[in-house]
Amino acid sequence: MRSAELMVGAFYNPHLAAELVRAEGIDHLAMADPPAPHDPHWPAIKQRYTLLLHDYLGQLSEPLDERSIVRARSLAELYRTPWVAEHFQCLHTEDGRYNINYVFPPLYTEEFLQRFVTNANALQARLDQPLVMENIPGFFDVKASQLPEPVWLRRFFEGTGAGFLLDLPHIWLEAHYRAVKPAAWLAEFPLERVVELHVAGVVEDNDLQGPWIAPAAPSDEMLDFMALAVSRCPRAQAVTFDAFSPSLTPEVLLSSVERIRQSL
Amino acid sequence: MSDREIQDSVIRALADAPFRASPDWRGLALADPTRLERFARFLARHFYHERLVHFFKYSRALARVTGRRPDAVLPGFDALLPTVVLGSRETARAVAALAVRHVRPASAPQTIPYLADLLEYEEAMMIAEAGPRVWRDDAREVIARSREQFPPEKVEGTVLLDLAYDLPAVLPKLLQPWTEVPQASPQHGRLLIARSPHGRVTVARADAAVASVVELADGRKTLPELARETGLRSDDLEATLAGLADLGAVRFATGS
Repeated sequence: MRSAELMVGAFYNPHLAAELVRAEGIDHLAMADPPAPHDPHWPAIKQRYTLLLHDYLGQLSEPLDERSIVRARSLAELYRTPWVAEHFQCLHTEDGRYNINYVFPPLYTEEFLQRFVTNANALQARLDQPLVMENIPGFFDVKASQLPEPVWLRRFFEGTGAGFLLDLPHIWLEAHYRAVKPAAWLAEFPLERVVELHVAGVVEDNDLQGPWIAPAAPSDEMLDFMALAVSRCPRAQAVTFDAFSPSLTPEVLLSSVERIRQSL
Repeated sequence: MSDREIQDSVIRALADAPFRASPDWRGLALADPTRLERFARFLARHFYHERLVHFFKYSRALARVTGRRPDAVLPGFDALLPTVVLGSRETARAVAALAVRHVRPASAPQTIPYLADLLEYEEAMMIAEAGPRVWRDDAREVIARSREQFPPEKVEGTVLLDLAYDLPAVLPKLLQPWTEVPQASPQHGRLLIARSPHGRVTVARADAAVASVVELADGRKTLPELARETGLRSDDLEATLAGLADLGAVRFATGS
């Protein structure tokens, strides 16, 4: 019953722009990067789709500087985005010397909670759209963490009023590596805050010796998990096929969006 | 140790293989070492695969002629893993050299006479992008304020590249659809490759004035000394330095 209310979309992959301009059944596109200056398809994409700002704006363990805020405002205006997304991540050191260039969660501690709440509130005060924050999976636990991730997230949302961008493969992977059932782990999270859901596949990775995030089609199991999650997220407005990669084919993108829609 | 400092230690352990192997890190006992090592290796492969695809995109476009994809070197990447420091100039140099060694023997010198120039250019771009970067603008204010007060010096990683072919003319053509290999005309030229403090890499053709300023800016010569040695008028020198500072090619040494 929720399918009529939910937008179903994907990420804007510029190498698939020609297909996306003609595609049927896609309600929105999430924008991970600004459009290239001479992207010939951008005007048609912008005119046709609802666009969601999903760029790297900065890590909220520190306050965003003016340059980053101006950039966020400018992109939000360009896309006319209904909300602005960022991640619960802390991927470079405070002095900028080390950077892992990949989403990585903060320590789930009181100090980091305070940092994220303060800096998210400051960012929200400068935005004209609501802020939504995406959960990031941990491949290993750091012993200095003090709170379970779902509790930390709940308190963040209580302290900011921000929306929750629920990434389902991230939940699924954490459940896998904790050896718990995905549905049980999902139930711990503040699902009443969810505005948007991300869905994608996972693949085996040789370095990790286990499954990890990939720009791949969601499995039937993941789609069932998505249907369960959507039924528990009363305020959800959109489901996005979360794949952004030059290796992504139009067939995988279009068929994944279609299967997501059929599963809702 | 604050929580932020602990987080920084974890980030450094993931980025810096020698630190990860050190007693300093191991003594903290913050994470399962097996899990952490697996994730660090995953990150390293991801980090450099992304950079090889980006910086070697032109020789990648030529792979159907050369038979050599520069990002195919990653299986040989494992030998570097014990020394990898993500984002460091040394690791960028080592990984870029793997790609160059892989593509250079391609048996296509007749069809791609500028291949050596191209690989040198791509290697220089990847190395120039490496190094610590400014993530927040606070530090930029200090740089801006110091512009007038201190002698200019070339920023580490800034490169002047001597080329035998007109690469800038052929690069865009390589990324368009083609059947005949796009050709570059033989033409000696110099390119300046520089990186801004925020990590943006810029390439510009370097004329004689720009090249001489970059070569002579050692952090000790004053503006009048530089003007005398380059033969530039004071106004022209200041304009050139301002442009080079905006690109990140020179900075104004604080003496510290």
